[in-house]
Amino acid sequence: MLEVRDLEAGYGPIRALDGVSIEIGEGETVAIIGANGAGKTTLLMAISGVVPTRRGSVTFRGQPLTGLPTHAIAKLGVGHAPEGRRIFPRLSVRENLQLGGFTQTNRAAVARDIDEACAIFPVLGERMSQMGGTLSGGEQQMLALARALVGRPKLLLLDEPSLGLAPLIVQKIFEVIGSLSKRGIAVVLVEQNARAALKLADRGYVLETGRITLSGSGKELSGDRRVREAYLGEG
Amino acid sequence: MSAQFFLQQCLIGLTNGALIALVALGYTMVYGIIGLINFAHGDLIMLGACLALSIVGALGLAAVDPAVTWVAIAGLVLVCGLACGSLNVAVDRIVYKPLRNAPKLAPLVSAIGVSFIFMNIGLFWLGSADRSFPELLPSDNVLPDDWGLQFTQKDRLVVLIVVPLMVALSILVRWTKLGKAMRAVSQDPTAAALVGVDVDRVIAATFFIGGFLGGAASVVYSLYINTIGFQMGFQNGLYAFTAAVLGGIGSIPGAVLGGVVIGLVRALASAYVGERWTGAIVFAILIVILVFRPEGLLGRRVREKV
Repeated sequence: MLEVRDLEAGYGPIRALDGVSIEIGEGETVAIIGANGAGKTTLLMAISGVVPTRRGSVTFRGQPLTGLPTHAIAKLGVGHAPEGRRIFPRLSVRENLQLGGFTQTNRAAVARDIDEACAIFPVLGERMSQMGGTLSGGEQQMLALARALVGRPKLLLLDEPSLGLAPLIVQKIFEVIGSLSKRGIAVVLVEQNARAALKLADRGYVLETGRITLSGSGKELSGDRRVREAYLGEG
Repeated sequence: MSAQFFLQQCLIGLTNGALIALVALGYTMVYGIIGLINFAHGDLIMLGACLALSIVGALGLAAVDPAVTWVAIAGLVLVCGLACGSLNVAVDRIVYKPLRNAPKLAPLVSAIGVSFIFMNIGLFWLGSADRSFPELLPSDNVLPDDWGLQFTQKDRLVVLIVVPLMVALSILVRWTKLGKAMRAVSQDPTAAALVGVDVDRVIAATFFIGGFLGGAASVVYSLYINTIGFQMGFQNGLYAFTAAVLGGIGSIPGAVLGGVVIGLVRALASAYVGERWTGAIVFAILIVILVFRPEGLLGRRVREKV
């Protein structure tokens, strides 16, 4: 469903991605692990058209995304819960969720999707009229995830959804991510928490300084010596 | 120095303040969405006044039956609003949009350039001398005589145009999809784009709305003050910009509050202290308020959150 071929992207003189190729199938959950600064966030931002690509291609369901503006990519069904959550701090939780459904034309359907998101994260339902910025970190992450889900994505890009959160909340978030494939949503999961990500994912890629150095099923990667030493803190 | 005199000055101040607020909204909306102080906004309003004068002259609106005067005024507001809104969008497209990712100083200096270009167009259009704007409305009092207060048809015009526009703007920003998108873009344009908001279109819409309000203000100003000139944009723009900063730039209720405060201060200062001190007093108060509340009356304290 998503095919990234030989992608090169960066900021000014810095080349953050140096010929990255990955593939994600329908309903598949794929983890991308790597150290800080390896280019994980840039990869997601390039897929979403926020960071311009210099070379290579991104194809989503047969349609080239390269060169499309970000909002058009979102409209095609690519959801993105970005690094640092980036919820709208001075909009209410309800308004944040409504904006998640911005590309939908049916208001009643958006309202239903918001109810559904609140069923998944009941705490959001209790905080509907609170400003996004007053939520705790965990609640903000749930809001970011819920906002992306209200947009009915076919592919969801998740950037460090567990960063800085308490273990119990991380567990909840990963549970929800794990349930997405049952709903037919493909997921690209970028994580520092490699152990949890690989456990959840069908497949994974290891990104090192802008290049894919390893790939395989979640199980294969968790068993790989280099992965265990570098990312799972064993060795 | 009776209470009645004081009330009268307050009434003048509120009316003037409403007009200042309408202009201040144009500054604060554009600042809120792209962080640009649009120095050309005052001159945009001057061009609106030029257009209004030409239309009134061409159609002979000064001589129409009083019964249709209000229709004529509504038409003027609409035409000048659309013209100024469109011009504002065009300027954004041609001048500011290519500079969207440039350092903040580049669009700022460009806005000063646009201001000069507008002023020269106004000079060409009106000539260098001030022009008198036809009196479409008489200055007779609409309040009962025994109240001892003056509130003329012109004052009423200001309220009748400004208040509905402000109500419409609040509804738009608060409740509509566009309004939510505008607030989202002002808080985090990238996150807004990621949920599918076309950021450039939202920015264009903001320029249009700010320009439309400016165009409406130009008509109200022309009918209220009855003198226009190619330099009118500078001083009026300065007061309105001050109102926006005083209220907290980027805040829509702040612009309205700032406009009303400045209108009141101006009226009271010129009545009790003297006309020539007005400017000094307004800006002294601005400085004092900003020393204690740098973010303005209703502005947000900027705080970096990690």
